[in-house]
Order: sequence, then C-alpha cells, then structure tokens
Amino acid sequence: MNFEPVVLFFVLGVVAGLLRSDLKIPGSIYEALSIFILLAIGLKGGVELAKHPVGDLVLPGLIIVLVGAIIPLVAFPVLRYIGRMSRADSASIAAHYGSVSVVTFSVGITLLGQEMLEFEGYLIVFLVLLEIPALMIGVILARHGQGKVRWGKLMHEVFFGKSIYLLAGGLVIGFVAGAEGIKPLDKLFFDLFKGVLALFLLEMGLVASTRIAALREYGVFLAGFAMLMPIFSASLGIITGWMLGFSVGGTFLLGTLFASASYIAAPAAMRIAVPEANPALSIGASLGMTFPFNIFLGIPIYLWMAKTIHAS
Amino acid sequence: MSAHPMLLLTILSESVLEDILIDEIMALGAKGYTISEARGRGTHGVRTGKWTAGGNIRIEVLGDNALCSKIVQRLQAEYERDYGLLMFTCPVELQN
Repeated sequence: MNFEPVVLFFVLGVVAGLLRSDLKIPGSIYEALSIFILLAIGLKGGVELAKHPVGDLVLPGLIIVLVGAIIPLVAFPVLRYIGRMSRADSASIAAHYGSVSVVTFSVGITLLGQEMLEFEGYLIVFLVLLEIPALMIGVILARHGQGKVRWGKLMHEVFFGKSIYLLAGGLVIGFVAGAEGIKPLDKLFFDLFKGVLALFLLEMGLVASTRIAALREYGVFLAGFAMLMPIFSASLGIITGWMLGFSVGGTFLLGTLFASASYIAAPAAMRIAVPEANPALSIGASLGMTFPFNIFLGIPIYLWMAKTIHAS
Repeated sequence: MSAHPMLLLTILSESVLEDILIDEIMALGAKGYTISEARGRGTHGVRTGKWTAGGNIRIEVLGDNALCSKIVQRLQAEYERDYGLLMFTCPVELQN
C-alpha cells in the first residue's frame, strides 16, 4: 500500500479533538491556510493549462463534466429509495458527493509527488467545473418543480463563495503569468504547499472529531453509503480517465476527484438553496466519514486501480 | 441630555444567512445594525463556529416597537422553520 505521511496530521487533530485537548487553530489562521491552499492549487492548474492549447481540452472537459453529473443522479435514488431518506436530505447529500474536495485532491497530488508520477495538471480546472452541475442538480432534485429556489443567491454563493472564486482566480493568474511569470512565487505557493497542507489537515482532524462523535446517530446505511459511494465514483472517474488516454497519475487523480465529497462549498450552497435538508447528515457523511475514508484507504486503492487498468 | 426609549432587537441565527437577513432588515426600514460572531448550543445542535458555515451570528438592531415587530414577523415567517433563529427585544435608552 502507498502511504502519504501528511495524513497523519489529520489523525493528530482527530485524537486531540476526541481527547478534548485544548489544541485550537484560531479561525483567522484557518482562513489564511484555506486561502493559501485554494490559490496554490489554482495557480498550479493555471500554469499547466497554459502549456496546452485550450481548444484540445474542450471535448475531454465536456465528457468529464457530463460523466461527473452521473454521480449525484446515482446517489439520489440510492439515498431516497434504499436509504429511505427525505427528498431534501437525499438531494443535498447527492450534491455534496457530486461536488469535490480540494483537500482530498491535494493529498492525491502529494502522493503522486512521492511516487514520482506525472499527471495532467489541467485536471485542476475540474475542481471548479464539477462543482457547478452537482450543486444545480442537487437543487433541482430537491425542488422537483415545487417551491421557490433562491437561484440568484445560490449562484452568487457558488461563483463568489471563496472556494470557487480563489480557485478560478488562481487559475486565471497562473494561466496569464505562465510558468516563468509565476517563478518568483514558487517558493511561497509550491515549495511550502505540503507543510501548509499538513497544518490544514490538523485543523480538519479537529473539526472532523466533532462529527465522528455524532456518527452513531446517522445509522449504518449512511456510513455504508459514505464508503461505497466514493468507490463507485472513483471507478467511474478511473474508467473515464483511462478511456480519454490520461497518464496513470491523471487517471488516478480523476478517480480521486470523482470520489471526493465537498464539505466547504456545498454545505454553504445547500443551506441556502435547500434549507429543509439537515446539514448534520450531509456534513457528517462527507467530512466525518468520506473524507477520512478517502485519504486513508480510498486514495491508495484508487492509485492501485489506476495502475491496474493501465497495465491491462 | 435627553434619553430616547427604544427597543434593542437581538437576532441569533446562522452565519450563512448573514447577507440575506441584513437585506431583509434594511428593506424593512432599519437605519443600521451591528453584527458579531457567536457560538453556542440550541435546538439546532451545537454551533461551534469551528467550521466556515458552522457558526452563528448575533445581529443587533435598534428601533421603535413598530420596526422591531415588523422585522420579527418577517423573519419568523420566512426563516424560523428551516434555520436556527432566536429573537428577543429589551428596552433601552439611547444616550446620543
């Protein structure tokens, strides 16, 4: 099994939270760390994007977004009819799973670095692109033509919420500046990335520990869903990446991207758009279960899957 | 020095509603408001403020009885069912 030691910082945070240590990451530091990670990932994607003729990426991009839209459409009936959850809860959770997690993706990238595997850097663009259809499908499923939707407010939350805004902004700056132009910033944004990710994971562990304590309330079904759904989504991503001719690293990252579930952008958007859904269920599943599952077990499994499909 | 009797309306709700509630309050005729971040526990569970969208806000508005009850009725009708929302007033004397 491939193992990325940076995830141990997550464990450190979880243990501190469960044992009620007085360890706290101040809110403003957490904000600064998340801004750093979003910008760094965006810049990296923009630099890679500048190396490719953008026209060549339109068709694979469209395919990836369309296949990505299958995830919430599969998750919804599973939650609604097998899990017997309410329409609003099913739709909100489906949107969380269709949407993506930047930190899970970042852990995937650091594992590739350790394995010395290359990847198609422009995949970072899909961190932005996959978010939008997933959230819209979630809202449409929840409403089913009934009730009013604050579409304007929702769209504002999606596009100008800090995660999409900073990722997209970083992409544009990286794209305009190119590898040479970004060089003076390399030391800050790229060399320090793993260290900042470690601190961020420590904080995520602290937060997740408050969710893990409440896991018993969610029931066996949701726990099973939170671990099986990412494997299904990752398989979808890995097959898509392989068929599009991506490298092993790119195939693995697309699988990781599909497998990840959002816990920053989606909760805020769903709280506005589908207020009757219980946020404890969706955040508990995505942050309390799927996120740790992905970084500890999922990511090594997806890498193995990507290597296997390329070897066949 | 003349002191004007007024009501201080305090609204405790979810951070995610900040912009929406402010728009409502201003549209109903409030002259201003004060917002602070808050944490706590209520019937909607523990709000630790440890997560971006997981915190609470406290909005304070000064106004006469008519304004405060307009705001309370509006927010109650629109947001009470789905969101954590607690509102109370207390009489105050404005000193300037």
